[in-house]
Amino acid sequence: VAVASERIAARAVPSPARHLRGRPAQVAAVVALMLLAYTLVRGEAPWPESLVWQQLPEELDEFQAWLIEQRTAADRSIVFTIFDGFRAFADWLVNAFTDALLWLTWAGTLAAGVLIVLRFGGLRAALVVFAAFVSFALMGLWEESIQTLALMGAAVSLSLLVGVPLGIVAGRSQRVHRAITPALDAMQIVPAFAYLMPVVILFSVGPAAAVICTMIYAIPPAVRITALGIRGVTHDTVEASQAFGATALQTLFKVQLPLARRELLLALNQTIMFGLSLVVIAGLIGGRGLGDVVTSGLYSNPALALLAGLAIVIMAIALDRATSAMAERTDPTRRHLTDEGRRRARLSTLGTLAAIVVIALAARALGAQDVYPEEFETATTIYTATIQDTLLGWIQSVLDYVQDPESFIFGITEPVGDFLVKYGLEPLRKFLVELPWYVTVAGLTAIAFLISGRRPAVTVAAMLAAIGVMGMWDPAMDTASQVLVATAIAVVIGIAIGVWAAESPRVEKLLRPVLDTLQTLPQLVYIIPFIYLMPVSRVPGVVASVLYAVPVVIRLVTAGVRGVPAAPVEAAMAFGATRTQALAKVKLPLARESIMLGVNQGIIMVLAVVVIGGLVGSGALGDLVARGLQRNEFGEGVVASLAILALGIALDRVTQSRGGRGAGQQR
Amino acid sequence: MRGLGMTYPRRAHGLAAAIALALAFGVAACGEEKEEEPAAGGSGSGAAAKKDCGEVTINENAWAGSTANVYIAKAVLEEDLGCEVEITKIAEIPVFQAMADGKVDTVLEDWQHTDEYEKYIEQAGTVVDGGPLGVEGHIGWFIPQYLMDENPEFETWEGLKGQEDLFKTAESGDQGMFLGGDPSYVQKDKELIEALDLNFKHVTAGAEPAQVARWSQLYKQKKPVIFYWYTPQFLNQQYDLAEVQLPERFEGCKDDAKSGGDPEQYKCAYDVTVIQKLFSKEFAESGSPAYDVLKKMKLTNEDQELVAKQIAGDKVDPEKAGADWVAANRDKVDAWLK
Repeated sequence: VAVASERIAARAVPSPARHLRGRPAQVAAVVALMLLAYTLVRGEAPWPESLVWQQLPEELDEFQAWLIEQRTAADRSIVFTIFDGFRAFADWLVNAFTDALLWLTWAGTLAAGVLIVLRFGGLRAALVVFAAFVSFALMGLWEESIQTLALMGAAVSLSLLVGVPLGIVAGRSQRVHRAITPALDAMQIVPAFAYLMPVVILFSVGPAAAVICTMIYAIPPAVRITALGIRGVTHDTVEASQAFGATALQTLFKVQLPLARRELLLALNQTIMFGLSLVVIAGLIGGRGLGDVVTSGLYSNPALALLAGLAIVIMAIALDRATSAMAERTDPTRRHLTDEGRRRARLSTLGTLAAIVVIALAARALGAQDVYPEEFETATTIYTATIQDTLLGWIQSVLDYVQDPESFIFGITEPVGDFLVKYGLEPLRKFLVELPWYVTVAGLTAIAFLISGRRPAVTVAAMLAAIGVMGMWDPAMDTASQVLVATAIAVVIGIAIGVWAAESPRVEKLLRPVLDTLQTLPQLVYIIPFIYLMPVSRVPGVVASVLYAVPVVIRLVTAGVRGVPAAPVEAAMAFGATRTQALAKVKLPLARESIMLGVNQGIIMVLAVVVIGGLVGSGALGDLVARGLQRNEFGEGVVASLAILALGIALDRVTQSRGGRGAGQQR
Repeated sequence: MRGLGMTYPRRAHGLAAAIALALAFGVAACGEEKEEEPAAGGSGSGAAAKKDCGEVTINENAWAGSTANVYIAKAVLEEDLGCEVEITKIAEIPVFQAMADGKVDTVLEDWQHTDEYEKYIEQAGTVVDGGPLGVEGHIGWFIPQYLMDENPEFETWEGLKGQEDLFKTAESGDQGMFLGGDPSYVQKDKELIEALDLNFKHVTAGAEPAQVARWSQLYKQKKPVIFYWYTPQFLNQQYDLAEVQLPERFEGCKDDAKSGGDPEQYKCAYDVTVIQKLFSKEFAESGSPAYDVLKKMKLTNEDQELVAKQIAGDKVDPEKAGADWVAANRDKVDAWLK
C-alpha cells in the first residue's frame, strides 16, 4: 500500500546535523526560567484587554452581512459574479460526476472501476477495487460512496488543473518555487477545520464549499510532486533536447513531462489521498456522501458513523492501490514497447472502454431498477439491509460495552482519562494561561530561536502576538496545552516503537498495515469511539490525536535510525559497545534530526485533530469554530480559525529545527 | 494523507504574506477556472422544478425527535402525493440561509430562534412561518431521580447553592461540573450560572450523543450529575430524571445566549417552546401540494417520542418507523391531506 508514502518518506530523511548538540540544556534552562516565573508571578499578567482588538468579531460579522447583501444586490461587483460562478460551476461539476456514475448504473460503475484498473494497473489492484465496491454494497453505503467518489472526482480534477501547471512552472523556475512555497506550507499546516468558516462565508454550504476545502488541502502535494518530477529530469537530457533545437515548450511536452510521468501519477495518487482525508470535514459544510454520514452520524447514530468511516478507509486503500499500480505499470523507464506492442496496448484500452459502455447499456436495458444505485439498494434490501444491520449491531455492542461503567475496559479507561486531565492537561493549561503573557511569548520565542533559528523565532513572536490581539489568548493556550500533552505522548510512543521497528524488520513488517490504516482513517472517525471510552471531554480529542500522529513519528524515527551510516555504529561495536549502548550513544544522537522532524510533524498533525475535538467537547479554539459553524456566530468562528492558523504556524516554527527545514529537500 | 504532506519542505518566509497568499490563492485559482468553463446551469440540489409535487427538501435536525418528524412527513409526501423527498442535515442556524437560498424547502422543528425569525422572516422575508407543529418543547436543568431523592433541596436551584462540590469531576477541577448541551442548541446555561452565582464550571461535551454518553455513564454509576436536557426526548422513558426548578420567568427574560446582553436578562427558567414549522418563501409560493400538507401537519409530543424511540432507541429503519406511524394513524394523516 505504501509505495507513495515510502517514496516521500525516503526523501524526508534529513542528514544528521551537529547544531543540536548542547541545545537541550539551553532549552531546559528556558523552560526552568518559565517555571520559576510561574511560581513567582502566576496569574498576574493575563493578556491585557487594552491590547485586544475588541471589535474584530463584530467587524467580521458586519463583513459577512455585507457579503450576503452584496451577493444578492442587483449591481453586484464582478468579484461576486466570479465567486458565484465558481460555486455554480463546482456544484455543476460534482453533479455531472454523480450523474455520470449514476448513468453507468451500479453494474456499469463496478465494471468501469474494475476494468480500467485491470487495464492500467493489473489484476491485483483490480481485485482490490472489486472488493471495495462489493463492500460498499454490503455495507449499504453504495449511494453515499458514489457521491463521495463524485465529490473526489470534481475536487481532484480541479486540484490537478491548478496544481500540475503550477508545479510545472515551479519545477522550471527556482524563483517561482521559492515564491509559492510559503503559501503551500500554510495551506498544509493550517488544520482544515480553520478554513471552514471563511469558505462558508464566501461560498455558502454545499458541494462547492466542500470542493474548495478539499482543493486547499490537496493542491500542495500536486504542485510539489509535479515540480519534483520536472526537476528530476536530468539536466543532460534537457540540454540535449535544446541542443537539437527544441523550443522550451517542445522540451516540456516531449521530454520533461513524459519523463516525469511517474511523478505525475504519484501526484494524482497523493492528491486523491489528501482529498479523501478531507471528505469528513467537507461533510460538515454540506458535502454529500460518506463524509456526511460520518458527521451527522456523530449526532444521531455513532455506529453508522464508524461504518461510514470504515468505508472511507476502504475507498482510500482501493484508490491508493489502483493509482500506485498504474504509476508502476506505466513507468516509461520500465517499458520498452515496440510499435506492435503500442498498437496492441491502444486496442486493449479501446476494448476496455467499449466493454464498459456495453455493460452499462446492457444493465440499463435489462432492468429499470438498475438505473439508480438507490434503487439497487432497495431492490436487494434482503441482503444489504441485513448485512448493514448486522455490522451496525456489532459496532453498537462494542460501543455499548466500552460505555458501560461496569465493563472491565471502563475500569481502565476512566482512571486513565482522569489521570490525563488531573496531572497533564489541567496543570499545563493552568501554566500556560496563568503564566504572564510576556513570559510565555519570550520563552517560546527563545525556544524557537534555540531550536529553529532567528527567523522562525521572529515568526513565533509575531504569531503569539496576533493570537493575543485577536482576543484568543486563553483558548489558544488551552488548545496549546492539549497539543503539547498529546505530542509528548505521541513522541514517546513513536520513538519507542520506531526504534524497535528500525532494529527489527519483522516488527516493521507487522506494523505497516496498522500504520497505513491509522493514517488513512479520517481524523473525526478516531474521536467517535473515544467519546464513549473516555468520558472526560478533553481526553477523546487528545487520545485520538495521539493515534493520528504516532504513525508519522514512528516512520520518521525508523527511517532516521535506519539511515544512520554503518561506519560509526561498527566502530562503536568494535570498541566493545553493547547493542543498547550503540543505540543510545551512537544511533539515536545521529538520528536526532529525524526525531526532531518527527516532533515537528507530530505537533502539526496533533493540532489538526485536537481542534476537531471541539465537536465533541475539547473546548477551546475548536469549540469556537464548531459553534461558529453551527450557530452562525461567524465573527468569533473566523477569529478562532485565524488563531488556530497562528498557533499552527507558531508551533511549527518552534519545533522546526535548523537543519529540519530540509525536510523534503530536493536533492 | 498517507504520504504526509507535512514531510515536505517548509521555509520561514514572510508569514503574513504566506497566509494571505494561501487564501487568495485558493480563491483566485477558483475564479480562473470559472472563466475556463462558463457555469453551465448549476442545477444543484434543492428545490428543482415543481410540477405536481416534484422534489421536496426537508432538513433533519440533529436530535431523534426531528428525525421522527422528517420521516413521518416523508412517508406521507411520498405515499400520498408521489413527491420525491430529499433530506438534508444542516445545523439549526445555517439552515435559515439555506432556506433563504431555496436550497432547503422546510424545517419541521424549529425551537424558536427569535433572532433568525427577525432577520429572515420579518426583515428579508425569505423564510415564512409555517405555524406550530403541535409539539411543545421544554429545556431545563435535569438531575437523576435518585439524586433528587437523596437531596430533596435540589427541587429548586437555591438548593444547589453551596453543594456544587458534589458535582466535581476531573474535568471541572475545584468546581462542580455542569454538563452543557449540544453547542448548536438554544441555551443560556453559562449566563444562568453566572447570574445565579453558582460555583459550576460549564463543561461542554460537544455533540448530543457525547453528552448523553457522559451523563448516562454517571447515571449508571449512581454518581451525581447535573446537565442541560429537554423534553420531548425518547431517552426520558429510559432514564428516570428530575428537573431542577430555575427562577421564575419575567418580562423580557431571554433564553438564547446568542442574542447577547446582560447576564441578568437570562436569570429565569427556559420558556415552554412552541415548536415551529418553517418554509422557504420559494417553496411556500411554488404551489406545490406538499406545502399544503406540511402546513397542516400536526404531531403531539407522544407521537413524536414514540417514533423517535423506535428510530434512535430500537434502531428501526427510520423509513419504516415513519411509514408504520402513518399506517397506524391514518385518521390524523387524512386530516392533513384534505
